[in-house]
Amino acid sequence: MKREVTDKTILDKFLEDFIRIADKYVKYIVVSGFVSIAHGRSRGTEDIDMIFERISKEKFKELHFALIKGGFECIQSDNPEIIYDDYLNSGTAIRYTKKGEFLPEAEVKFAKDSLDEYQIKTRMKLPLTGLDVYFSSIEMNIAFKEELLKSDKDMEDAKHLRLIYRGKINEQEIEKIKKQIRKLRFNED
Amino acid sequence: MKINMRDKSHDEQIERWADYVRNNPDWKKKHKKFIDGQIIMANRFYKKLAETAEGKAIIQELRAAKIRKNSV
Repeated sequence: MKREVTDKTILDKFLEDFIRIADKYVKYIVVSGFVSIAHGRSRGTEDIDMIFERISKEKFKELHFALIKGGFECIQSDNPEIIYDDYLNSGTAIRYTKKGEFLPEAEVKFAKDSLDEYQIKTRMKLPLTGLDVYFSSIEMNIAFKEELLKSDKDMEDAKHLRLIYRGKINEQEIEKIKKQIRKLRFNED
Repeated sequence: MKINMRDKSHDEQIERWADYVRNNPDWKKKHKKFIDGQIIMANRFYKKLAETAEGKAIIQELRAAKIRKNSV
């Protein structure tokens, strides 16, 4: 099911432009709502969520200036020192848009614990999306939506992914991830 | 107790559309119109808003609220 160029949405093109630059500097994954939308889920979103591996301030500066050169701007600040210290390194997401545009936005966070590191380690390309970018696994997305996020929208996203990948989902992996979510995000034993 | 705000027909719609995506290669064309339409409409609105007297300040507040929401 290869995607024709004309089938690419504004979100697809924005993401591919962003990743073409970011991929040279950092290991990343695309997570959350966009994963479902890229699999055909018919709902809106304003941002594309990404998790970056932790990188040094120097490396982040290089990435930031490459993004600026590539036509992006950071909503929070023009100063990469401030973006790194006050936001990324403090666990707050940063947001990039195309210069002068309002939407879409790339929402980027650093990996915050071993579960995020595991998400990056097990990242994969998902051919059904027709996009040449790395996503967190389908099992990871389902587990986060069913165990942590749990809004109506998230439960519907999980249901959609379960239907699209019917017969191909590793339920044991989902349970393993849910256990880690309870341990690391809810402090349960 | 979690209150389910969606009714059964909503659930059935998700199943119908997921089946459509699995079985019809042309789903992307329909999907593209839907996704692009939302982005185009929102950007058109924000551009109009930015042209009004208070518009830029309102947009700044909306963005700040979004950043706060995602930092908790």
